[in-house]
Amino acid sequence: MGVETGPGRVSPPRNPWAGAPPPRPDRADLAALLARVAVGDRAAFEAVYDRVAAPVFGTVRGVVRDPGLTEEVTQEVFVEVWRAASRFDAGKGSPMAWVAMIAHRRAVDRVRSEQRSADRDRRAASSVIAYDDVAETVEDNLDRERVRRCLRALTDLQREAVTLAYYGGYTYREVASLLKVPAGTVSTRMRDGLIRLRDCLAAGR
Amino acid sequence: MRIRRPEPHTLAGAYALDALDGRDRARFERHAARCQECTQEVTGLREATARLAVAAAAQPPPALKEALRAETARTRQLPPVTRGSHVAGRTRPRLGARRLALALSGAAAVAAVTVWVTASLGPPAGQPSSSQEITAVLTAPDAVKMTARVRTGGTATIVMSHRDRMLVFAAAGLRPLPTAQRYQLWLIGSRRDRSAGLLPMPSHGMTGPVIASGLQSGDRLGLTVEPAAGTPRPTTPMILELTL
Repeated sequence: MGVETGPGRVSPPRNPWAGAPPPRPDRADLAALLARVAVGDRAAFEAVYDRVAAPVFGTVRGVVRDPGLTEEVTQEVFVEVWRAASRFDAGKGSPMAWVAMIAHRRAVDRVRSEQRSADRDRRAASSVIAYDDVAETVEDNLDRERVRRCLRALTDLQREAVTLAYYGGYTYREVASLLKVPAGTVSTRMRDGLIRLRDCLAAGR
Repeated sequence: MRIRRPEPHTLAGAYALDALDGRDRARFERHAARCQECTQEVTGLREATARLAVAAAAQPPPALKEALRAETARTRQLPPVTRGSHVAGRTRPRLGARRLALALSGAAAVAAVTVWVTASLGPPAGQPSSSQEITAVLTAPDAVKMTARVRTGGTATIVMSHRDRMLVFAAAGLRPLPTAQRYQLWLIGSRRDRSAGLLPMPSHGMTGPVIASGLQSGDRLGLTVEPAAGTPRPTTPMILELTL
């Protein structure tokens, strides 16, 4: 595979979209809105909410499953966005990546601290579904189609490793045991898979 | 090249997917603190995971926005980091995500009210906590709030201050226990579990607040049901376990 690791590997560009068309306007807008949120602009916060509530809610729901808990965690995520808006650093990634990171971390940390193995087994089945039904709910999501296409371009193991971790909230060790593959293999497949996904998505913009 | 366990670098993908737990995550973050390339790689991979999030979009119920309006109105914002280390970009958000709105949402507001009541009535007998201590934790600059469900019913809220090495614990709606039993709070460390005391009897469905001190980094908080006299170590399964 062309994306192999090792010391000689070219490091990814600082700006992941370098070489691609300029960022879409909504990206710039979101960053500007966050800057307003950082100074306490509640209207800007609501605008941010309107932009990213669906990805946050969908991601959290995929991981935690329980509807009540999903709302609770989603709310916590946005309180955190409000609180920490001043910490957003556009030099370290897009605003969407920042918000998604808060949301996903929060969701997995919550299920890991709360859920027992019985629940997790149940989610094993559902996380696979999550990738398929990832949101029949949102209309007109070109992103989803592109993500699906790029996911399909991964090897089976890469795709399963990435989606179980992201949509299922599993650790790579758990993924390894679910897929009966050595943990080291899973961690490299996650990395290779994400690199491929990143490149595929960037190419498609 | 001898490879015994995954090189930290190969964990960049798992890290970006939040697929590293406790020790693995800490190990990667230590590595990334010295590895500019890793930090950049994670940044790029996070853009890919963000797209996974966008692909999973689903509309939240409208009431959520309304609730947030109230929440932000009473949540103080963090000041910007003026001279943060670059590692902060990797590690801070994690802390950030775990720190919750300090003051006074939902159960914490109830806790605060209870503190008020406690303050005017004096601390309940046998309680080591004083309202002053509780106030100190609630208003500590690094105070972090977490809420979690108790497996057997009810919701626990804690506010902790790592600086003061203390936390305030309160719960609502805990399942009532027979008189021979009490809820016991634990600080679960890497070396041993320390009792953080028995919870007082609930009053109007509210339990606590109580204070637990001697918090150490890496501690988790646990709750069990024990004989009314308490035990030196947990004898029943945890009904709540929280990474602090």
